[in-house]
Amino acid sequence: MRLELRRRALCLLLVLAPLAASAAPADLGGLLTLLAGVKSGEATFTETRQVTLQDMTRTLESSGRLSFAAPDTFVRETLKPRRERLAVAGNTLTMSQGSRSRSVPLDTVPEAQVLVEAVRGTLTGNRELLDRHFTLQFSGSLDQWTLELVPREPRLREQVARVTVSGVRAALTEVQVQLAGGDRSTMKIVESRVP
Amino acid sequence: MRIQALRRPAVWVWLAAMLIGAWLAARATYVADLSAFLPSSPSAEQRVLLEQLRHGVTARVMLVGVRGGDAALRGEASRGLATALRASGAFDSVSNGDHLDSPKAVGELLMAHRYLLSPAVDAQRFSVDGLRDGIADTTSMLGTPAGAWIKPLLWRDPTGEMARLAETLLPSGGPRVEAGVWVSRSQPRALLVAITRAGGSDLDGQAQAIDALRHAFAPWAARGLSLDLSGAGVLGVQSRTLIKAEVERLALWDGAIVLALLLLAFGSLKALGVALLPVASGVLAGTVAVSLGFGQVHGMTLGFGTTLIGEAVDYAIYYLVQARATPATGSGALHWRRHNWPTVRWGLLTSLAGFSALVFSGFGGLAQLGVFSVAGLLAAALTTRYLLTDLAPDGAPGLGLRMRLGQATARAAAALPQLRWFWGGLGAAALALLLVLPSAWRGQLTHLSPVSAQALTLDASLRADLGAAELGTLVAIEAPDEATALQRAEQASARLDPLVAAGLLAGYESPTRLLPSAATQAARQAALPDADTLRARLKQATADGLLPADRLEPFIADVQAQRQAKPVTRADYDGTPLATALQAQLLPAAGGRPWTVLLSLRAGTQALPAARLRDAMQGLPDTRVVEIQPELDALYARYLREAFWQSALGALAVLLILYAGLRSLRRLWRVALPLAASVVLVLAGLTLAGVALGVLHLVGLLLVVAVGSNYALFFDQLAQQEAQAADAETLASLLLANLTIVASFALLCTSSVPLLVALGEVVAPGTLLCLLLSASWARRPGGVGQSAP
Repeated sequence: MRLELRRRALCLLLVLAPLAASAAPADLGGLLTLLAGVKSGEATFTETRQVTLQDMTRTLESSGRLSFAAPDTFVRETLKPRRERLAVAGNTLTMSQGSRSRSVPLDTVPEAQVLVEAVRGTLTGNRELLDRHFTLQFSGSLDQWTLELVPREPRLREQVARVTVSGVRAALTEVQVQLAGGDRSTMKIVESRVP
Repeated sequence: MRIQALRRPAVWVWLAAMLIGAWLAARATYVADLSAFLPSSPSAEQRVLLEQLRHGVTARVMLVGVRGGDAALRGEASRGLATALRASGAFDSVSNGDHLDSPKAVGELLMAHRYLLSPAVDAQRFSVDGLRDGIADTTSMLGTPAGAWIKPLLWRDPTGEMARLAETLLPSGGPRVEAGVWVSRSQPRALLVAITRAGGSDLDGQAQAIDALRHAFAPWAARGLSLDLSGAGVLGVQSRTLIKAEVERLALWDGAIVLALLLLAFGSLKALGVALLPVASGVLAGTVAVSLGFGQVHGMTLGFGTTLIGEAVDYAIYYLVQARATPATGSGALHWRRHNWPTVRWGLLTSLAGFSALVFSGFGGLAQLGVFSVAGLLAAALTTRYLLTDLAPDGAPGLGLRMRLGQATARAAAALPQLRWFWGGLGAAALALLLVLPSAWRGQLTHLSPVSAQALTLDASLRADLGAAELGTLVAIEAPDEATALQRAEQASARLDPLVAAGLLAGYESPTRLLPSAATQAARQAALPDADTLRARLKQATADGLLPADRLEPFIADVQAQRQAKPVTRADYDGTPLATALQAQLLPAAGGRPWTVLLSLRAGTQALPAARLRDAMQGLPDTRVVEIQPELDALYARYLREAFWQSALGALAVLLILYAGLRSLRRLWRVALPLAASVVLVLAGLTLAGVALGVLHLVGLLLVVAVGSNYALFFDQLAQQEAQAADAETLASLLLANLTIVASFALLCTSSVPLLVALGEVVAPGTLLCLLLSASWARRPGGVGQSAP
């Protein structure tokens, strides 16, 4: 009888355990599904970078446009203080500055790749891509969420400590990059068009 | 009898010659690279190409893959291996994508000359606006991961010339980076590129480098990782090992088959031993002649040497059987010398004529084959004529199955003429087929290489992973001196840059990135302002206050130092990994060849037509666009064409010699027809089988004619001796000789070295056909084989 009880308890535990474990990711899953539903978008951004130069602290500000189209195209166009363009399509990263332009395969520059994939992976709701590069920490609710992405690779963590993406439902509102050296950049996003 | 033989001078002369030969052969250099099959008088484009293949850095590149374990372990292994290899001394440079590992010396060298090297430096760059732009470029990277690289140099290099240099020097393609090292995109494999210190054609040095690599990898192998290895030198060493193993295997089997046949035929060990003497002498003489004539022996020539066993043993068989034919003891040698030697000598002469055409080939490999064959056949025939007549004055002592063989041959020889029309029809049909079917002469240069398809696949996959396409397009520039070479390279770069900007090219490598011409460096120095001017301009340019001007004194000091600095020279890079890159792009004059600059182009998404490139290079002195694959194809086409001419000349020489001896067009026709028909039948057969015919097939055909002419001459001889019809012994010797040669060459068809297969599939059926056709078309159908003993 006692044995039977214990067996039942065990069964119950086994049934409930996965539910309990997946309680947090259920929200992450829901968020990613929500994000995956958005196939393209445009937004404006303002970015603030806190930079330490020896004994001085400097704040660099810039602003511009962002655009994204599923599955893998992402463009960040800085308009102020100077025009600069950074475009990612698939595995090609193109950086343009004035008349100069340079393309490199994204995966040859892991420290750039990790930043691109944090944003691109979130925008496309690509769980597999995000899991490959980061350990994920979801907090908040679908209405007001924060996703903390820490690069899996130890050598990359020596450069990029953490990327924190925040949003409201399917819209990203902020991307914060914490560099291992202490510098930090915060990009605030205002969606201009949701098709 | 043995004692008697020892008194003869021929024995001692032969022994002495063999000893000297063995000593020389032991000291010979054996090579196995493709260079022996490259022409000695190339066109300008080919010269560039060959220079690269023979001595270029590309020949010293070793591609390394590390498999097994997980990404972290492979990364650890890659770093560990790179460190060990750099310390081993066997490598000029080792790259694995780990930028942290790049030697400090290089960075300091570039830093100390950055204002002479950076393409951005001109007067505008040091104006107030230029400085402001440069500083803005640099500061825009702060607060990004790239900032970590920039910060330590910021006060010395606020305009970011080092970033500019890194941009121009680092290839824009390249492998994926994972766990800090290069990895494959398609499979779990870490990648390294090592440049060996040993030259690409120094196979011993390459083998040592491979050993050093395997030794350094041993600890990782013990942890379950495995190694993928390729590159020109690695393939060269593999080829040499393969050819060596194949030559040994073939020699062994060939020997066994020939021994078995001889044993069957003679039933005597002594006869066997004697029969092998001309073979041994021939191979040794051929090797020594090639070594003395060329300074080295190609492995393939030796491979070919094993096939000489088949032909040289013929002489011994002819002698041993034919000298046996006389009834009186002790008179066999004399009888043979009088009655049979003239025919053998004649056959020898035609063979020599055929092969001597190859001696004059512009391609080292073919010339070696020619010299080897001529020397080898000559030695084998002389050994037969002078040594065998002393050692075995009455031919082979034993009888074995020879009697039955002789009777069977006689019966066959009697029956074969009934097939004369069958063979005639078959020959005509084959000829018609050859005329109708598209040409099968479509062999390629790579078909000469013994490298296995598996090794080539591995090589291709490593190259694809590394983004190091092997075959592409080069712009080659020649110049009388270094300064002119660099200036011309800059002119060519100026024409290429617009193509890159337009996206038609992904990029190109140029030595002027590391080593701008003296004029360019002087111009950049002239654009650097003095300290006061620079200080004043900086004050204006940094008005936004992001980088305070008074902190930039290190920058001003560096600029002043580099205004006075001596220009960068080639010697400055000695001992750094960059020297390797420079060597690949700027080849100093050597051996009558001018200074050469090689700009290798990286194709954009679509290949740029060579004509377009040639247009872009229009008017530049001594500047050529070289497409490597078409150039290699052209090289092979020339090779084949030359070999055709030589074979035709060889065949003509054979005909002339035959005519000189036969003195009758009618007899010449009878002798030549079976040979020509055999060639046609073999060609038709191979064409039908879909074989791509190449140079080695052509050499094989020459061998068919050379060997076959012996048979044809014998039958002609028989026809002349109308009174005494052919005895079974002579016919048996022909059949036996033919069987050994067919067996030897059929064995070649089992080889994994394609060029040996090519020889085998031509010579084995070809010589068999020569014998059959000669017998079938022999004059006096009833005349042969009637007087069985």
